[in-house]
Amino acid sequence: MEKNRIYEDLSIILRRVQGVSAVIGAGLLLLIFFFWKVQVLDHKKYWALAEANRTRESVIGAPRGLITDRNEIILAENSASFKASIIRENCQDYDRSLGEVGQLLGIPIEDLKSRIAKFESLPLFRPITVKDNLDLKDVSRIESRRLELPELIVETDPRRYYPFGSLAAHVIGYMQELTEQELKSDAYPERNLGDMVGRTGVEREYESLLVGVDGWRLEIVDSQGRSRGETSRSEPAPGRDIKLSLDFDLQQRATQLLEGREGAIIVLDPRTGEVLALASFPTYDPNKFITRFSPQEWMELINREDHPLENRAIRGLYSPGSLFKLTTALGALNAGLISEQTSFFCPGSANFYGRSFNCWQRGGHGTLSLTDAIRYSCNVYFYNVGRRMGIDRISHYAKLLAIGQRTGIDLPGEKEGLVPSQEWSRNTRKSDWYPGETISVSIGQGPLVVTPLQIAVHTALIANRGHGIVPHLLEPSVSGQGQPPATAANSRAAEEIGVKVFDTVIRGMWKSVNEGGTGRGAKVDGFEVCGKTGSTQLIGRERAQRLGKVIKTHSWFTGFAPRDNPQVAVTVLVEFGGMGGATAAPLARELFSLFKEKHD
Amino acid sequence: MIDRRLIENIDWVLIVLLVLNCLLGVVMIYSASHYVPGNYHWRQLIFLGASLIALFIVLLVDYQILMTFSFYLYGAVVAVLMLMLLFSRFISKGSWIKLGIFQAQPSELAKIVIILVLARLFAEYKRSHVSAGAAATSSLLVGLPFVLVALQPDLGTAISFLPLLLGSLILAGLRRKAVIGMLLLAFLAGIAGWNFYLKDYQKQRLATVVFPSRDPQGAGYHILQSKIAIGSGGFLGKGFAKGSQSQLKFLPARHTDFVFSVIGEELGFVGVVGVFLLYGLFLWRLFGTAGKSRDRAGVYITFMVSLMFAFQLLVNVAMVIGIFPIVGIPLPLLSYGGSSLLANCLGVGLVLNVKMRRFANI
Repeated sequence: MEKNRIYEDLSIILRRVQGVSAVIGAGLLLLIFFFWKVQVLDHKKYWALAEANRTRESVIGAPRGLITDRNEIILAENSASFKASIIRENCQDYDRSLGEVGQLLGIPIEDLKSRIAKFESLPLFRPITVKDNLDLKDVSRIESRRLELPELIVETDPRRYYPFGSLAAHVIGYMQELTEQELKSDAYPERNLGDMVGRTGVEREYESLLVGVDGWRLEIVDSQGRSRGETSRSEPAPGRDIKLSLDFDLQQRATQLLEGREGAIIVLDPRTGEVLALASFPTYDPNKFITRFSPQEWMELINREDHPLENRAIRGLYSPGSLFKLTTALGALNAGLISEQTSFFCPGSANFYGRSFNCWQRGGHGTLSLTDAIRYSCNVYFYNVGRRMGIDRISHYAKLLAIGQRTGIDLPGEKEGLVPSQEWSRNTRKSDWYPGETISVSIGQGPLVVTPLQIAVHTALIANRGHGIVPHLLEPSVSGQGQPPATAANSRAAEEIGVKVFDTVIRGMWKSVNEGGTGRGAKVDGFEVCGKTGSTQLIGRERAQRLGKVIKTHSWFTGFAPRDNPQVAVTVLVEFGGMGGATAAPLARELFSLFKEKHD
Repeated sequence: MIDRRLIENIDWVLIVLLVLNCLLGVVMIYSASHYVPGNYHWRQLIFLGASLIALFIVLLVDYQILMTFSFYLYGAVVAVLMLMLLFSRFISKGSWIKLGIFQAQPSELAKIVIILVLARLFAEYKRSHVSAGAAATSSLLVGLPFVLVALQPDLGTAISFLPLLLGSLILAGLRRKAVIGMLLLAFLAGIAGWNFYLKDYQKQRLATVVFPSRDPQGAGYHILQSKIAIGSGGFLGKGFAKGSQSQLKFLPARHTDFVFSVIGEELGFVGVVGVFLLYGLFLWRLFGTAGKSRDRAGVYITFMVSLMFAFQLLVNVAMVIGIFPIVGIPLPLLSYGGSSLLANCLGVGLVLNVKMRRFANI
């Protein structure tokens, strides 16, 4: 240290200070460069991320169109329902949280996990529905634990509701959640995961009318996913209401009549083809599909032997039995093979092609003319007629009279049935047609099968003296609700078969009901019911005796009324119901009489 | 004790820069927390007033006298830190000690005491290079509170002691051998720390600096949200109190460690550069004071205080923009926090103290 200096020489350490501060200055400049990159160069990317953070788009479900009967009694509507949803991002501890939620709602944790896994592709903070149709107890239980379980929320949602449960379930159909595969396909471009879609019945047939356009809502949300207000929204457009031709009272009566049996009833207006009632039994409650089945319930339902989900009216295939005698009679009369006066003797059985064929009346009917043969449903008479016609002529008239072909009703999944012919035998069975089979077919047995709806349409065609109809459920009168299938009358039968021929057969049908014939159970005073019974043998009588069992026949009745200006046609099928006259005809009577009551 | 000449030599520019930075902090704290209960901006303003009073009290006593007592202060702070560890169940919670209705972080004040002790140690150290003995002594002096604070556990504050040690050694003159030795030591300490000290969440934080988007809902969440806030602010920002990331609480620790993210989001790149300029001026003024010191101790004090600010600024800002792990180091003067503000003002007080007494007495 030099003497003349007051201060010590600090130049060395000051140089070091400068060095370090230069390094720090450089560090600050480097940081500014980083901010330049993040804030200016990559601004767009982070802006988008911030927007995705702060906004949430949510769907506002559009209410589905109502389904009503012809008098606007509501058969399918929407009710507000509560559902519990989980917001994954709000779970503190995923596993523990699922455990608590599962316990609260009574859902096994595995089910909960698999449900959430299904929705993995959803954006963040989207609620995932884990339980529908909460009752108020569930709602209050969830609300009371709101602070502990912020991930569990209660939402409201319009839900399909069928106020009459299983009534007309097969007409209305049921709905199910769209599967992920369906959503990925192009068939449902506007739909979201969790949406329901009509699977059967009118719900499926008129899906495009019923379904509305979902709205959406853009909300500001905070980091907890809580809404901080809406920025924009688009209101949902509700689906179109549709009015069915069904008559609530007739439908309800038909359902009641089938209660405890297996079978189908169709009531339609032969003039227009409007279906007034269509019931199939056993049935199911379509509400169950909305609230979701437990896997066990579902397996039980689809494995039940009596197949409640099947719509027997359009999908059940049955031998028409004696109902087919109408076709045989119309065909033979028209072809000139018999006349109204042609008589045959019925001794109770007859031999054809070396085989004995029985009449259902053991003692035989004696000598019968055509109308009485229809009245008493004599088998032997029609064996003889059938033999004269041959299978191909029978087949031609059957098809002309709407048997063995789809009716074109506005319901999905209708079956076609089968009218055998020689060609069919060669092509499908790969064997020649046996003439003996013709004898069976002439009374509606053999390979011949039809759906109950075909019989109803066939009956309407006879009632209209040859003018066919296309049955339909959608009321065409309401403008703008869409059109039912083409109702253009099909008059091919009327062109080929004269009115007189129909009148003759109808006289037989009238006698059957009103003059102590097999159809007498369907008689309604002051309402000229014309009808025909049928009892379908499932196995031959001898075989049944050999087995030592009484196997009941399927029981049919079909008819229309009044005779000269038909207003209603009724077809009844009761599986294993016994004789058509004993079981099906009285059921039909109830419906004729209710119809008459309503229209007097 | 204080005469007019001393008052005339107070660096009012530095005080104004200090207060401007603090007021900017209060404003940003308001933006980041006015929608939650707590009145953090008012509290910070009260802390600021109290800290400024403390600053002026520090000016009354010559820093040489303060240094003389520095070992007693050091002993007291170390004793408090030890008591906090021993009786942590009764008197403290992490780095906080309960004092009636107040809570304080003694570890913040430890910084100031360490500065004084190191300055005292090196005040008469006139060799061109630091000796092994001096290096060991200073390392022990810093190492003891470092360990105590790290065990609290408050790694962020503990780490901010290290630049004080490193800075003093640099001033005293480090040989190349020593630099290599220290790097080696740091490396070994790093390995040991990773294996024995760091908690899993801290390891994850370190890992996510490298891959922030790997786990956007987990450990990378804070880094990612902070980057989103800053990036979405863009050039001009979203406007004061209008940042969605901050106002809707996507940002973590908005009024404390991540207050700079709020600046980035709401004031944009322009605001960031503005704050850097204001802070840069403040640092420049601090570092500049070193050259005005009367003696070696003054240089050490000024330098270490400046380094304390610079280090925390760099680490905090690097942290919020995602190039440094989240270690819990607040932004000095701008982040909310009374103890930290008090310590920082005392630090500035020391620098002012050195500068106003730059002329030799008689």
